[in-house]
Amino acid sequence: MSTMDQKNQGLQSHAPGATFATRLHEWIATSDHKKLGVMYVTAGLIFFLIGGFEASMMRWQLSWPGLNVVGPEEFNRLFTMHGTTMVFLVGMPILLGVANYFVPLMIGARDLAFPRLNAFGFWLFLFGGLLLYYSYFGAQGLYGMGSSPDVGWFAYAPLTEKTFSRGHSTDYWILGIGISGFGSIATGINLIVTILCRRCPGMSLMKMPLFVWLMFIDAILIMIAMPPLTAAQVMLLFDRWLGAQFFDTQDGGSAVLWQNLFWFFGHPEVYILILPAFAYVSEIIPVFSRKVIFGYPLMVAATIAIGFISLGVWVHHMFALGLSPMVNAIFMGSTMLIAVPTGMKMFNWIATLYGGRILLHTPMLFSLGFLTQFLLGGLTGVMLAVVPFDWQVSDSYFVVGHFHYVLFGGLVFSIFAAIYYWLPKVSGRMLDEKIGKWHFWLLFIGFNLTFGPMHVSGMLGMPRRIYTYQADRGWELWNLLSSIGVLFQIAAILFFTYNVLNSLFRGKKAGDDPWDAWTLEWATTSPPPEYNFKEIPVVHSRRPLWDEKHPEDPDWKYE
Amino acid sequence: MSSKEFHPRPPQPEGIEIPAPTSSPFTCAFGLTLVAAGLVTQWVVTIIGFMLLIIGAIGWFREVHPDDQEEIARIQRGPLPITPRTSKVKRLMGQERHRQRIPAMIHPYSAGVWGGIIGGVVMAIVATIGSLIEHGSLWYACNLLSATILIGVESQTVEQLSQFSTTSFVVAMIIQSLMSVLVGLIYGVTLPMIPRFPLLFAAVFVPLVWSGLTWATISVINPLLQDNIDWLWFIGAQITYGIVTGWWIINTEKIGTMQNWSYLERVGIESPGIPEQGESDE
Repeated sequence: MSTMDQKNQGLQSHAPGATFATRLHEWIATSDHKKLGVMYVTAGLIFFLIGGFEASMMRWQLSWPGLNVVGPEEFNRLFTMHGTTMVFLVGMPILLGVANYFVPLMIGARDLAFPRLNAFGFWLFLFGGLLLYYSYFGAQGLYGMGSSPDVGWFAYAPLTEKTFSRGHSTDYWILGIGISGFGSIATGINLIVTILCRRCPGMSLMKMPLFVWLMFIDAILIMIAMPPLTAAQVMLLFDRWLGAQFFDTQDGGSAVLWQNLFWFFGHPEVYILILPAFAYVSEIIPVFSRKVIFGYPLMVAATIAIGFISLGVWVHHMFALGLSPMVNAIFMGSTMLIAVPTGMKMFNWIATLYGGRILLHTPMLFSLGFLTQFLLGGLTGVMLAVVPFDWQVSDSYFVVGHFHYVLFGGLVFSIFAAIYYWLPKVSGRMLDEKIGKWHFWLLFIGFNLTFGPMHVSGMLGMPRRIYTYQADRGWELWNLLSSIGVLFQIAAILFFTYNVLNSLFRGKKAGDDPWDAWTLEWATTSPPPEYNFKEIPVVHSRRPLWDEKHPEDPDWKYE
Repeated sequence: MSSKEFHPRPPQPEGIEIPAPTSSPFTCAFGLTLVAAGLVTQWVVTIIGFMLLIIGAIGWFREVHPDDQEEIARIQRGPLPITPRTSKVKRLMGQERHRQRIPAMIHPYSAGVWGGIIGGVVMAIVATIGSLIEHGSLWYACNLLSATILIGVESQTVEQLSQFSTTSFVVAMIIQSLMSVLVGLIYGVTLPMIPRFPLLFAAVFVPLVWSGLTWATISVINPLLQDNIDWLWFIGAQITYGIVTGWWIINTEKIGTMQNWSYLERVGIESPGIPEQGESDE
């Protein structure tokens, strides 16, 4: 087929009245960063519902002592699949999806640098996730029954060795997550090259929106952190299939080696997940405070510092292992050190709010929810950095409460903020504000009711991953409160689902720039055309739309 | 000779070039997944996956060699023109060249310290009145406060808690003084940030949240202490502190921040010709 023929075919494929099959093919064959972004986020939200269902089942089981809603084996599968799903199949795709959609728009580019690699990355993620969930039907457990992985989301050795994990459930975990990991690496490369090479004229590195800076550092972290996990997974496959003994302690292997390799990925992964949350609120808070972000250069420096330090804190997950006091002290110090640049960001967001004309629209409410809850999660993180304290509460519900304040109170709240903020650009329709506020308050109450009491039950000694408990431990009230909180969260998610579906069909038209915002994505139509911008924009400051709207008082005079 | 000479570009239709759609990445990814899935299902799945991977890779190669396959996207309606706004960023007082980033006037930190001290005194009076009414003793609340640090006090009987103890009194004084000043200082910094009803925030919201947190955690921190606290008086004392400290801070005259100073003034350089602190340079 000649080039011209293909061009004509391309024109025809966008003709109106296309059949369902044609439209389906359009999505499968697309390399448009926006469609891929939408698919990433949609898939992530579907996995979020699945992971949420798994969590709800666990909370039902734990709501009262001695319940038997699920058995111990199924409970093991539930927490394994819940953790794996939320980290690898919800957090990662949503952050990559939002970056896919908005990085090119924010830097005035027409697409990512490698559009086909981008599509490859998405499909790898999706097929990896589907392969993992196929384990429910395909994996042969100890008794020849299908079962999903049950070794926990960090799959500690030697539990994952063939001796202790018979059948294929752990293999599905390795292969599914490994394939998804390749997809993440592909997209990470793409983001780095795009940000370095595809910026529009005038957009120097220090004129990039903070969103782009944060996604840049995030992509670098992905590039550094994912390969060790993949390598460890391949080593584990060798152990299980070829009789290697990397992690097999019975044959001289080292379980600590797995812990080191996993957490060398696992802790940067926390920052891979939370940096995009910082990115979203760094765009949303200024717009809804009607002020420029406070301390842009310091925010960039703090981002780089967080990225750097996050690579050197992984041993704090292993304090209870019995490492030498010197090693513990070093990693306690580095873990506390990372609170410094994170604190700088907190102060800068507060300074942005300070004296601003604050508009409490739904994206802002979720951003403020992020600020308060992430702060609490960060503070309990500093508490856990103290080795003696960590020894006391390691593997207890205190830790569960802590990381949910970071990843749910932080990441998920910021994702909802981002959806309320940017969905009008993606769909061309506004989400309903009233329903959005119901969504926020129900989730805010439900979240704090669920995860706040976990700190108390953890302090009272409740270990994580137990499927039931006796009635005389003093944990009943706290577990009941946690489970009641889930009901609020389910109601909130129902409000959100209705809001999104309703807005897609009946939502108010958004217009090009519904929030009177300042970055380049608002300079094109809603939804944007395939080519993003008819003419590549030229920028002079970090807020190009501000300059357009205020020709007498442009930002570039002050940067 | 470059490859472009073999493929002369045809005349461009109206539109913008974008990458042509291709199913090769999908095929490659699906193939790779089947290769892996075959390891845990049937070897034939791996073979099929491998074949798909090769087909996808060849298709992908042909997509980008010798030239990227592209299609033309039709130009659609453009965005609406941006209309200029009239709003302007506030300037620092008298300095047209400098934008105001954060409020230029704040309550002095000393307002927080003094507010905290006065609020702490009034709070202590309310707590003591509560002790007197409930237990007929001036020292009950004082002894309970000291129990947050002193070991053994919390397990005393009500009669023992109603007696004066020099150690408890000194410890309670130190705790009350430090906490009152610290919380007052935090109030002094945060209250100016509250956009509306700062007194409500200081007098109701914070005391209730603090009381709620204390109620929820006291059973873990100190179970014995939990049985001896009169919660109504506890909340009343907290609210009194909030009202007094908040009112004091809010009614303190605001002062200008260093934003108004020039760089030379901030670093403390004194020289003839440099204006006084806060004085306009224009």
